[in-house]
Amino acid sequence: MSEISFTDVAFRYQESGDFYVLQNLNVRFQSARITVLTGASGCGKSTLLYLAAGIYPENAGVLSSGSVKIDGDDPSELPPNLRCRRVGMMFQNPALQFCMDTVRNELAFCLENVSIPREEMGSIIDGALRFCCIEHLKDRKLLTLSGGEKQKVMLACLAALSPTWILLDEPFANLDDRSARDIAAKLGQLHRERGTGILAVDHRLENWLGVADEIKGMDKMGNLIAEGLTLSVHEGKDSRDSDALKRCSTAAPGSSYPFLRHKKTPQESLPEPLLRLKNITVSYTGTPVLRGLNADFSQGKSYALLGESGSGKSTLFDVLRGLAPFDGELFYRGSAVRKRELGRPGPIGFVTQNPQDQFVSDTVYDEILTSLKSKAKTNAINQKASKLITSVQKAEENQVESILRGIGLWGHRRVSPYMLSQGQQRRLGVAAILACGCEILFCDEPTYAQDWNNTIAIMAALENEMKDRGTTLIFSTHDRKLAADFADEIFELKEGTLLEHDQSIR
Amino acid sequence: MNTINPSVKALGLLMPTFFLAAMQKPFLNLTVFVLSLILLAVSRINYKIFIAAMIPVILTALGTFYTGYRFQAGNGMPVSELSFHLADSGVWNGLILASRVLAFAGLGLLLALTTDRVRLVQSLNQQLKLPPVFAYGLLAAWGILPVMMREYRQTRAAFRARGLRVLPVSPALLKPMLVKAVRWAEALSVAMESKGFDGNAPRTVYRPVPVRIRDFIFLFAVALGCAGILFLP
Repeated sequence: MSEISFTDVAFRYQESGDFYVLQNLNVRFQSARITVLTGASGCGKSTLLYLAAGIYPENAGVLSSGSVKIDGDDPSELPPNLRCRRVGMMFQNPALQFCMDTVRNELAFCLENVSIPREEMGSIIDGALRFCCIEHLKDRKLLTLSGGEKQKVMLACLAALSPTWILLDEPFANLDDRSARDIAAKLGQLHRERGTGILAVDHRLENWLGVADEIKGMDKMGNLIAEGLTLSVHEGKDSRDSDALKRCSTAAPGSSYPFLRHKKTPQESLPEPLLRLKNITVSYTGTPVLRGLNADFSQGKSYALLGESGSGKSTLFDVLRGLAPFDGELFYRGSAVRKRELGRPGPIGFVTQNPQDQFVSDTVYDEILTSLKSKAKTNAINQKASKLITSVQKAEENQVESILRGIGLWGHRRVSPYMLSQGQQRRLGVAAILACGCEILFCDEPTYAQDWNNTIAIMAALENEMKDRGTTLIFSTHDRKLAADFADEIFELKEGTLLEHDQSIR
Repeated sequence: MNTINPSVKALGLLMPTFFLAAMQKPFLNLTVFVLSLILLAVSRINYKIFIAAMIPVILTALGTFYTGYRFQAGNGMPVSELSFHLADSGVWNGLILASRVLAFAGLGLLLALTTDRVRLVQSLNQQLKLPPVFAYGLLAAWGILPVMMREYRQTRAAFRARGLRVLPVSPALLKPMLVKAVRWAEALSVAMESKGFDGNAPRTVYRPVPVRIRDFIFLFAVALGCAGILFLP
């Protein structure tokens, strides 16, 4: 039995200052119970995890009072090669946790770090791969693996190092449900067979069903407000627990999203689709990735695009952004879209999964202004009439103010977009693209790594845009529940072909 | 060439490189180039990469030849019958420069195409005692190169999507890349540390990179070759 204990912990990121991420925190985690810690984005739950792993305060921040102990030892005082036998970590971004080229070399790297004798390495590596059911990946290059496969390799690294505790920081954010469940099940197995303590930070609990023994919850201020909650499969059976989860901005598995939008029935749609994809085909080095996609999108409707990693979803988005060469045609209001027009400001707007990928300016204000200017330029060209530039400029400045006030970022107008919080960045990203004046908005995973409240806020904002401007929304997601509750129609990409979900199976 | 110890190979190929840089013998350079090609031909290499790498090499060689031919020191005049001698030394000058490009490229490719980069870095760590922090830092940085390429395309697409025209190497593009590079570096170093990596702690070796007799033979052969050339007329 092992225990991680936080005693009167106060932690802040700034060297000096009085903004504390965690304050007066007292909590214990027992290795006998698989625990999931949940809470709103930015509440300090990841910080807590990094403290337990000994990464903070060594790498950032100040532990101004209190102590973090694993069985009486301070993890940040252990040297890395001893610490990793106590706590292993799995991170959110699978692409940024490896330093070698192949799976085998990465596992060997871990074992070399802890000075395992050479003769024993081969069998440990094989055992770890077998445990994770990824023996076939042994000599593959890490670069060629999907996100799910990478996380499994990470799990194999942990299985090889066999730490007392495994800490996980939203490990499933990038994964499809199947990979997530596989990994959760393997974690459960490690716990049962080797007594490994498991502590995960996650605000989507579905994947932990049947695995987690206890849920703890934090509020926005970083206080622990709920302990000893359990996950139940039946909705509404334990309303006390799901109410407690709601206060931590987390939904009990199976909860419905409260979207009261009036779903449009097919009869209401216009006869002519706003956007039509015709036989879109893409191959990389001879292997087909998209095999002749056909789809119609009507004005003012919302579409969800489901697809596991590797299904061709990002390739389809690359096509629409003018990043991937393709065969086939696109029609906007019945007329063909020229390929070189894709990716330029126009009727099709695209919001990237990580909003940071689309920022082009130094300040929040300029971010919106850039879009408005580009829209004004397009209009001027279209109308072949250049009006008085100064008056246009003035009008734009007023417009920036109203847009920024609308998304609650007027107070932040002078800061760099990179300084905003995740949720704020996302709101800015959507607003900046919409300000270009597009009619069809593609959103790649708009609710990626967002907590319950943020998810609802983001989708509600998108819904408002649709209502106000008649924008067509096409968003991708891993969250089937969200797709079913929000979208008018659901498409699913499978092995490069697009399937339309039957309305009746909802 | 594939089986020679990477560190020894690197040293063995660096030696003639410096040696040739100090000489002005185009036929010697060309001989080294041909020798490299022969060695490449008998090694296991990826011919696609070889051909792709040769295109810029040949272009550079042609370019430097023409530069050396046209702009020889002290010869700014147009060529005429009277200055035949000058024209001739122009060709010579061009040949010296161009053949050097070919020789260096040949030696460089010989190392690059017959060596696994992980093995090279491990060998530098094991034989030449490169500190593990550098060795594994180098490998990790290499691993995120493709991520950076993808990021660069993303950033360009972002500017295009907002109707902004930017040059491929514009500082505006580099800024978001830099912000992210810092974050990647942080994430990677934290991940490596959490897997027990400690730059100063002792570590065992999974697959040692051996130094064998043939490696010494290779090194001596190259050294003798270099020494022998000194005594050539």
